[in-house]
Amino acid sequence: MINRNLVKALRYRYVLLAVGLILLAGGLVLLPKQEKHKGITSAELLSNAISPERYMSTDEIAHKIVNQDPSILLIDVRDSLNYQKYSLPNALNIPLPKLLDDNSMTFLNQDQYEVVFFSNDNFDADKAWIISNRLGFKNIHVLKGGLNSWFKTIINPTMPEENMPANAFEQYRFRKAASMYFGVVYPESVIQQSTEQKKVPKKVITVKKKKKSTPEGGC
Amino acid sequence: MKELEKTKRISIAAVFSILLVIIALLSYKKPKNLYTITTKTALEMLLDKNIAVNVDILNDTTIVPIDIRSQYDYEKGYIQNAIHMEAAEVLSNENIEILEKIKANNKMAVLYGNNPEGVIAPYAVLIQMGYNNLKILKVENSYHQNQLITKNVDLEKSIIDIPKFIKGSAKNANIKPKSNTHKAPKKVITIKKSKKNKPEGGC
Amino acid sequence: MGPLIPNDLIPFEWNLVIAIIIGIAFGYILESSGFSSSRKLAGVFYGYDFAVLKVFFTAALVSVIGIFYMDYLGYVDFSMLYVHPFYLWGALIGGAIMGVGFVAGGFCPGTSLCAVAIGKIDAMIYVIGIMIGVFIFSEFYSFFEPIYDGYFYGNITLTESLNISPYWFILFFTIFGIIAFALSDMVRKKVKKVFY
Repeated sequence: MINRNLVKALRYRYVLLAVGLILLAGGLVLLPKQEKHKGITSAELLSNAISPERYMSTDEIAHKIVNQDPSILLIDVRDSLNYQKYSLPNALNIPLPKLLDDNSMTFLNQDQYEVVFFSNDNFDADKAWIISNRLGFKNIHVLKGGLNSWFKTIINPTMPEENMPANAFEQYRFRKAASMYFGVVYPESVIQQSTEQKKVPKKVITVKKKKKSTPEGGC
Repeated sequence: MKELEKTKRISIAAVFSILLVIIALLSYKKPKNLYTITTKTALEMLLDKNIAVNVDILNDTTIVPIDIRSQYDYEKGYIQNAIHMEAAEVLSNENIEILEKIKANNKMAVLYGNNPEGVIAPYAVLIQMGYNNLKILKVENSYHQNQLITKNVDLEKSIIDIPKFIKGSAKNANIKPKSNTHKAPKKVITIKKSKKNKPEGGC
Repeated sequence: MGPLIPNDLIPFEWNLVIAIIIGIAFGYILESSGFSSSRKLAGVFYGYDFAVLKVFFTAALVSVIGIFYMDYLGYVDFSMLYVHPFYLWGALIGGAIMGVGFVAGGFCPGTSLCAVAIGKIDAMIYVIGIMIGVFIFSEFYSFFEPIYDGYFYGNITLTESLNISPYWFILFFTIFGIIAFALSDMVRKKVKKVFY
């Protein structure tokens, strides 16, 4: 008996399935719509934004510029007036309001270059970084301290005091050499040049020590 | 009813697919803390110069200061009436509740940290979630003899005219500025478009 | 959450493994729905068997409704899914050639391989024909290239280019599909039964 009833009900199985499909599709139309926003989740964005991983130091950038590292792409997010006054060598100018233009997208949404944002300090550059991080762009960094820190550390480095550790002097030597590369002239270097003209100027080869990083992993 | 003889296979498949749907629905969690604005409007809001305010604004007692520094710094000293909300924890349930309450009361909240640069990250995340009653306090906090020192700072202000300094250095050295400003050749940046070579399908 | 591989939930290297598993499942379902029989496949053109229409239409409906529900609930990001690029004349001419081949041979490329697997001789000939076609195409590639690469309209979808809500589109598509099923059943009853 049960079997016969089952068969009777199953005679309408295709109709039932068809109705089911239409109901499901109709449900999609009736569902309350909420506007979707692009980007990684806010929790992820926050944890990315809190971490200082995005910062690159001025020394790092100077080293890369001096060695003409082809993989970095410096982006000045200040307005074009300030950009024309002074900017890092080979920097591109994408003023912050134009960050989301299609033209800028080609530079941000790619994986060939390490993009470095900078502004006078890192306030505006951080804004640009957060927006691009939400959109999920990879390889984007911020110059720590911006151009102000660039001036303080690279263009006009302060001489370390006598009692400072040796690597402070080493760093100072590198910074001084870098500042000369960027056009700063020191009185003592001029004298040296005029007296020891014959001498081949010593090449400053700065070998960046790799930071030791403990291997991560585990199972 | 020839197909009905294969009921076993059909019913097994049906049970499995229904199970799958049920598991998916059970494991469903409503996403929390969604963005309410697009990146475009977020950028516009961030561009507003008024997002950073001076410390004088705290004379207005309806404004709620929020301290985003670490617990340690907060306990050492904080601006009067400040609520503590560590930067990494601003999205926790309690903190969101506090923010919602402030917003519901139509009050304004100002975030402050050790310096304004540290605040921009949590601030930008929060305004993208629709908390448009927030501001950043333009202050730098430091301790002097265990006393919290709060001082106003300027943002995005160039401290010195760098090209002038470079020229000046040449003058100091008493030489004509040789044009040795290693002008690296202008880099032509070409971004390769990703190839359209993607997996193709068909039957 | 999804799609799984672009979001790095599954490492990229699993791509091929998953492809093989899906391929086996696809082949199994094709074979068990009787699609390795050329007469069954050609039936849709002569009106005595509409299994092809029903199976493919149902599959499309189920997956489109499923994907949109999953997108709504946040399991899959719809905007990240791959959309097939649209080359207008390439699609038209290619579609016509494939249609002629389908009526004449009784297989589409996928099902022909399925039929080869169960040892059908007509399918083997059909696959050889495919190979010859591939050979001709690659030999004369420079001649065909303007059509193959031209008239490119981007990775567009119907709802984007017509600017209608995808949800309404799915509803109409579903109703249309079910009407098509009902009509095809009526046609099949009218046409003289063919035994194969």
